[in-house]
Parts: sequence; structure tokens; C-alpha cells
Amino acid sequence: MARFHPLKVTEVRRETRDAVVITLVPRDEDKALFDFTQGQYLTFRRDFDGEELRRSYSICAGKDEDCLRVGIKRVEGGAFSTWANENLAPGDELDAMPPMGKFFTAIEPEAVKQYLGFAGGSGITPLLSIIKTVLVREPRSRFTLIYANRQINTIMFREELEDLKNSYLGRFSVIHVLEQEGQEIDLFTGRIDAEKMKALFGHWLDVKAVDTAFICGPEPMMLAIAASLREHGLADSQIKFELFASGQPGRAKAKAVSKADIAPGTGTQATVTLDGATRSFEMPRSGQSILDAALAASLDAPYSCKAGVCSTCRCKVLEGEVEMVINHALEDYEVRAGYVLSCQAMPLSDRVVVSYDE
Amino acid sequence: MSDTMNIEDYLAQGGVLTAPGNAPARYRGELMRLMSSFVDSELAASAGFANSINFAPGIKERIAASRITLEKADHAERVLAVMETFGTDANRYQSQHDWAARVARDADLGAARQAGDMRLSVFHYPITGWTDAVVMNVLQGLATGVQMTELTRVSYGPLAEVFREIAPREARHAELGLEGLERIAASATGKAGVRDALAYWTPRVAATFGVAGSKRYDTLKKFGLRHVPNEDLLARWETRTAAHLAGIGL
Repeated sequence: MARFHPLKVTEVRRETRDAVVITLVPRDEDKALFDFTQGQYLTFRRDFDGEELRRSYSICAGKDEDCLRVGIKRVEGGAFSTWANENLAPGDELDAMPPMGKFFTAIEPEAVKQYLGFAGGSGITPLLSIIKTVLVREPRSRFTLIYANRQINTIMFREELEDLKNSYLGRFSVIHVLEQEGQEIDLFTGRIDAEKMKALFGHWLDVKAVDTAFICGPEPMMLAIAASLREHGLADSQIKFELFASGQPGRAKAKAVSKADIAPGTGTQATVTLDGATRSFEMPRSGQSILDAALAASLDAPYSCKAGVCSTCRCKVLEGEVEMVINHALEDYEVRAGYVLSCQAMPLSDRVVVSYDE
Repeated sequence: MSDTMNIEDYLAQGGVLTAPGNAPARYRGELMRLMSSFVDSELAASAGFANSINFAPGIKERIAASRITLEKADHAERVLAVMETFGTDANRYQSQHDWAARVARDADLGAARQAGDMRLSVFHYPITGWTDAVVMNVLQGLATGVQMTELTRVSYGPLAEVFREIAPREARHAELGLEGLERIAASATGKAGVRDALAYWTPRVAATFGVAGSKRYDTLKKFGLRHVPNEDLLARWETRTAAHLAGIGL
């Protein structure tokens, strides 16, 4: 299993009003672990008032820059991104897991490929890594980037992209689409939707020539672009996605208060929420797991190994106290946040409330 | 574009998730279940085929059976690697069950899972000889081919990619089976043996498609983990199987 390793912050550069670019270096002994592939992301962890938060950010450095670099855009109410934008400074250490993710295609130095990239806002970060790497390591390939932003002053890496365009004339081009600012060409104003995609393919892009398309941005943009690419003949295997999920809560939810006192009764009143529906039933205090009790009560709870190794049956304890017999799948921070493997969880209190929906 | 949408709506509209952090709790549970079922089935299939290597009548058949044994284990490993990114302890997971264990030949499991072992029920039945092994492999291989049309477009991107890599090799396993079946069915006695094995395995493979009107299917469809109902997949398998068998006079 992947573990966290400390990275040293060597530079914090303000990129836009609400985004910073952080340069990081691993310890010498961790160098090999952090040898990333273009387009991958790093997962950081940090403690906020006793609650561990984990956040993933894409690497924006190219393979030939010999450093790790991530762009962090401040999200309204986001604890981690706000902290990174306001407090992070050179010399600090950040815990990170080795690079992960499959948002890339293998580099083939001899290949003559046409890539098409779509980025929405901070979705530019993995694409920048891919673009820089492809331009250097696949010298006969070309890359076209369609980059959507609200307005000009929120565009991340605007200058760097401009420099790349000038350094790789004819091989790299950028089309900026701005939601709130009019441009000379109407097509480049507004949102990327089905209609705009059609117009882009009609006049600006030869979709038939595209080998691989990369999309990174928020959900509605990913849907609109993917649908349009498929409509224009691209196969699923030619479309690479990286979702910047908006659903991540800014802060971990408040911990459930445990009622440690065990009433003298023999049974436990269990309340289980699954797929939005809640059901209560009586279960024995010992000898039966919460999962088995839920299954016995005709709840279609998810499970597979029933041995504490696969984590399919993970649920969250909202009230009461449970004890896991075996846990080989959940990490400490998940357990601290109240998650248990329901196949291994025995109730300790006279009332237990769990949810499979959190 | 900072416009966002509910992740369930995104999935229902065909959206693709790309990292464990993207996956809502229930989605995660169903995805893990789907992966477990595949991993356990491949490990059990590999273990079952390992014994069949020694049933092989010739070197060509021996190589085919060895290759199937090897590659099914490899496919299990690839999907288990995706499970690992969700917290699964891979080392412990692969030693959880006795993958070579089989029930009695005449047991009737229906479509039921056995305890925590998530292999498809068909992989609990023992293979009794070379013809039996080949027939089972053809029927199940064609079923896998049909299932792959679903698996290669699951909404979890990293898993769909693994399935897209696996699919052509699984298809090759079915082809190897069909080649073997053709050789066996060339003689009249061979044909009779094939008919017996078909009678045994056909209902057992059919059961792996699950029940018609499944409630779980609705949940999985909402999550983009399934697209075509059980009964339609079953019908597709029946049509394909009939066509292949007719092609070799069965």
C-alpha cells in the first residue's frame, strides 16, 4: 500500500489572484518513488484542528523539469486550498503519497500523433505536464489545447502557454474560451457546450485526425465534451478523463459523538441507512456483525470478502460505538473519521447508527 | 468554467470517474463488489484450468490450457491492483479463499455466491476431463465476451482501461476453446461427449447472467456500472453460442 513521504517546499509562486504554484522535492531516498508520469497527481495530507484532510492535485511539471510542481487554486470554503494559498512557504514540509493516476498515454519518441486537450480552469495542471512532456519527448507530434476560463485574469499558466506556443511554433496551439469576456471571435466566448464543440470541429479542428483527446475539468464540461467527441467518431479508448470532482467537502464532517456507556441490555438497536433509505432493527450485542445483521434484515448492503481485507462493506458510524475484529483495509485516518468495515464491526453500545451512504 | 453538478447526476448522464477520491460511498461499494466478483472468478477459473492442463491430449492443447491458466491469473492481478487503490490489502486478498476448491459435480448452487467468495457460481463446479474443460471454456468464454461489452465501458475510468486491455486476450481464450472443440467434435464419439458436457454446463453458465428484472441492475445502471440488462446479455450469449455450435455441427 502507498504510504506518505515528506516533500520539501522549495518555491511558492503566485500564479493568479487565487492560485499558487508550489515546487516540491522529495528526500534523496524517495526520489525513485516520486518519479512521476506526465498527467499524474499527488495526494497530500494535513491535519486541520485534529481532522486529517487529504487532497489530490495534479502535477503540472513536465518530465524534463526535474522537479515536482503542483498548481493549487483556492476553492471557496476549501480548507486545504486556502491554507496552501495563504500559509504555505518555502522550507515547509508536506506529506504526499507517490504519484498516482492514469491520465496519460505512453510516450513514443517516433510517433507522429495529433493530441487534443480540453482544460477547464485549474484542470489545466495535468494537461500542462502532458503538453510539455509530449513537445519535448515526442518531437513529431502536435498538441492543440482548448482552455476554458471565466475571464482573462483567472487564466492559470497563461504566460507559460504563450511561451510554449512560441517555442514550438506549428506543433502547439491554444484556443482560449472565456465565459465572461467577449473576444474577437464569438466562438471563443461563452461556455463549451455541444453547440460550441460542433462549431469548433466545423472550423478549427480536424477531429478525424485526432489520435487521443484529454479532458480535465468540472463535471458538466467533461460530459459535454466527451459526448461531442464520441459523436464525432472518437472511441472510448481514445478519450482520457481526469475529473476534478467538485463534491469534495472543504472540511471533514464533524466526528460522531460516541456513547461509550454500555447499557445492561443484551440487544442493540441498529439503524442503517443505505441508498437514502433508513431502517431500524434489533440485533444481538455479540456474535453478529453489522453487515450480517443488515443482510438478515433484507438490506442489500455491499460486501465481498467478509474478512476485513477488501473494504467493499465500508460504512460510517454516526452514533454509538462499534469494535472491528479485523481491519486490513481501512487506514487510521478513515477509522478516526468514523469509518468501519461493517463485516468486522460488532456493536458495543445499546444503540448504533451507521450509514453506507457517506 | 467552475460550474459543478451533483456526482450522481454526472454518473447518470454517462460521466466517468477517475480516482478513488471521486467515488461516492455507495458507488465505491458497488464498484468494489464488481471488481471482487471479477477477481475471484478469474482466480477460480485459473485454478480450475490448472488441473485441466493434465487432461490435455496433445502439446498444442497443453499449451492452450497453460496459457489460459496463466493469463486468467494475470487478469485477476490487474483488477486487484485497481482494488488496491481503494484500500484493499492485495496480499491478504489473494489468499482469502481456496481458489481450486470445487463443490460436488451434482450440487445445485443456482446463481448464489458461496460465503465471502465472490466468484460466479459456475466456477464452483468441477471439471471432469478434457472435453468437459473445452466445453466449459467455450461457453464461459463466449459469456465473458458478452460481459466484456459491459465491463469495458464501466464509469470508473481506470478500471474500464484495464478491461479494455484484458478483453482481446479473454476473446482469444474463447477462440482457443472453439478451436479445441472443433477438433473434438470431428469424430462421432467426440460429438457425443460434447453434447453431454453442453447439457451440464449450459444452464450453469446461463445462471451467471443473473436474474431478469434485477434490482441491483437498476442501481448499477444509475452509477454507469452497467448499461444493458441481464436478460438482454443472456439472450445475446444464447444467440452467439448457438451460432458457433451450429458452425461445427452441434
